[in-house]
Amino acid sequence: MRLGKVIRWEFGQSIRSKQFLIVTILIPAIIAVGVFAASRALGSDSSAPSNPPPPAIIGIFLAIILYLGAFMSGVMTMYGVMKEKQSRVVEMMLSSVSAWELVCGKLIGLGLAGLIQVVVWATLVYVGASQFMPISLASLTLVHWVTYPLYFVLGYLFIGSIFGTIGAAIKDIHSGGAVGFAGMIPYLPMLFTALIVQQPSLLWVRIAGFIPPFVPSIMLLRIGATPLVTEGAEFVPTWEIALSLVSLALGTFLMMRFATKVFEVGMLMTGKSASLRELWRWGRRRA
Amino acid sequence: MSDRELLRVEGVSKTFESVRAVNDVSFAVSRGEILGFLGPNGAGKTTTIRMILGIFDPDSGAIRSSLDSGRNHVPKERTGYLPEERGLYGDARVLDLLVYFGELKGLTRAESRERAHQWLERFDLLDWGTKRVEKLSKGMQQKVQFVAAILHRPDLVVLDEPFSGLDPVNQDVLREVIAGLKDDGAAILLSSHRMNLVEELCDRIFLIHDGRRVLYGNLAEIKDSHGEHTVRIRFSGDGSPLADLPTVCNLRLSGGQATFTLDRSASVDEFVRHLPDSIVIQALSVDRPPLHDIFVQTVEGRDS
Repeated sequence: MRLGKVIRWEFGQSIRSKQFLIVTILIPAIIAVGVFAASRALGSDSSAPSNPPPPAIIGIFLAIILYLGAFMSGVMTMYGVMKEKQSRVVEMMLSSVSAWELVCGKLIGLGLAGLIQVVVWATLVYVGASQFMPISLASLTLVHWVTYPLYFVLGYLFIGSIFGTIGAAIKDIHSGGAVGFAGMIPYLPMLFTALIVQQPSLLWVRIAGFIPPFVPSIMLLRIGATPLVTEGAEFVPTWEIALSLVSLALGTFLMMRFATKVFEVGMLMTGKSASLRELWRWGRRRA
Repeated sequence: MSDRELLRVEGVSKTFESVRAVNDVSFAVSRGEILGFLGPNGAGKTTTIRMILGIFDPDSGAIRSSLDSGRNHVPKERTGYLPEERGLYGDARVLDLLVYFGELKGLTRAESRERAHQWLERFDLLDWGTKRVEKLSKGMQQKVQFVAAILHRPDLVVLDEPFSGLDPVNQDVLREVIAGLKDDGAAILLSSHRMNLVEELCDRIFLIHDGRRVLYGNLAEIKDSHGEHTVRIRFSGDGSPLADLPTVCNLRLSGGQATFTLDRSASVDEFVRHLPDSIVIQALSVDRPPLHDIFVQTVEGRDS
């Protein structure tokens, strides 16, 4: 199938790029060596932290890493789409595959490469942090294992579609304007991280947790923080998790469709960046 | 639709925003034929090509192909396209890239690799197969992109300015390859501003201007019906009686040379038979108007 070929190509090209090798192997390796050396130096100092953090803190750690990972992969998608446009290869591609196949292939292929990065970094942070704090993967529950990957994957596809749309609409990285700002919308809840972690069941936090762009950040933090603030408390109610996932999945599908349509129009015109108004018109037009 | 006919475009129109880019355009291309696809910049050529290839859909009209009647464009696996705006993935390796394009067009990995090898050899690029595309010169990249367009032996080949940026040696190689594709039964749409190449390669031409078809048909017939013949005579004797002939226009006489155009109504045969006895002909040539002039006349005539 053509989609599979596009995915394989995008993934293969991505993991062979210099940036990928640096971010995924070189930098983590340097940090790992540093952490190892530091833990050796501090090893003899037996004064363990007097106030050990609650075990649930690892949930919050992971939530933040996953979300930053989705963001990084999303930015990679934007660069991928912009490169496609600037190198003018897109016209040949569109004479071979549909815009939907190309957009999906890029999102999924680059997403898989991003997943590798996230796994490497999460492992690094976990191993590093566990040198200094008594944290353990064992304190993660089934809820974490089931919901975190779903929020990550859907969240990435959603954010990646937004960044892909931006990449298709703007001329170059310096001319994003208001359109570029759209990429920051899913990050607005991050400004309230401290609040969400302390009071994960506030009414407006719960409501915002159903709005697609905010779902991944808010729900990851809420699920991570709930057992932390209330000892032995229930997690976020299952129906809230289910509803947020349905909402996110639907939003992701619509966003990918929107990205494809903007891509169809934007890719074949260079020389100017689209305004928000044009973007809206492109995205809704029928092919 | 005749047996050989591969593509038939019927009354196709496309409007962007408020601009009518293509307006009720019709033409057909057959297997084993090169159709010259001409027009000034911005006339609607690229838009028409993109509709044929299914990059976007026409607002109205039909694009029929003998390969598939279901869709309103030629099936993508059966087309090969060299766009005017060149571009490849710069950081990919040449051979990998060709294999990828071949696979997207339905070849297996092995087939794709084998053919890519053969074509790279033909274009003298075999040593560059493992290099990154961005390391290649512009002309080399162009050859690679041409190979990517035809690797899968497409039935419909669309070439937009295939010769630009190539040196004379490579132009000759490419010309041979295009002729070979034609002989193998591909239908070829050749878009170019180089009229001499179009005259040399194309059987029929299609001229689009302001989104409309303004000329379409057999190249020789179009030439016959357009403009005057240019006559050059080298002679000895007295050339002045030429000026008295009613069919002779724009006469220039110098020494033993006469250059003039024949009136539209005149027949070449009649004219030659009735040349004045006072001149002894050493050489005579009658040229049909160059396509260049027909192009300019047609387009300017429309504009005025």
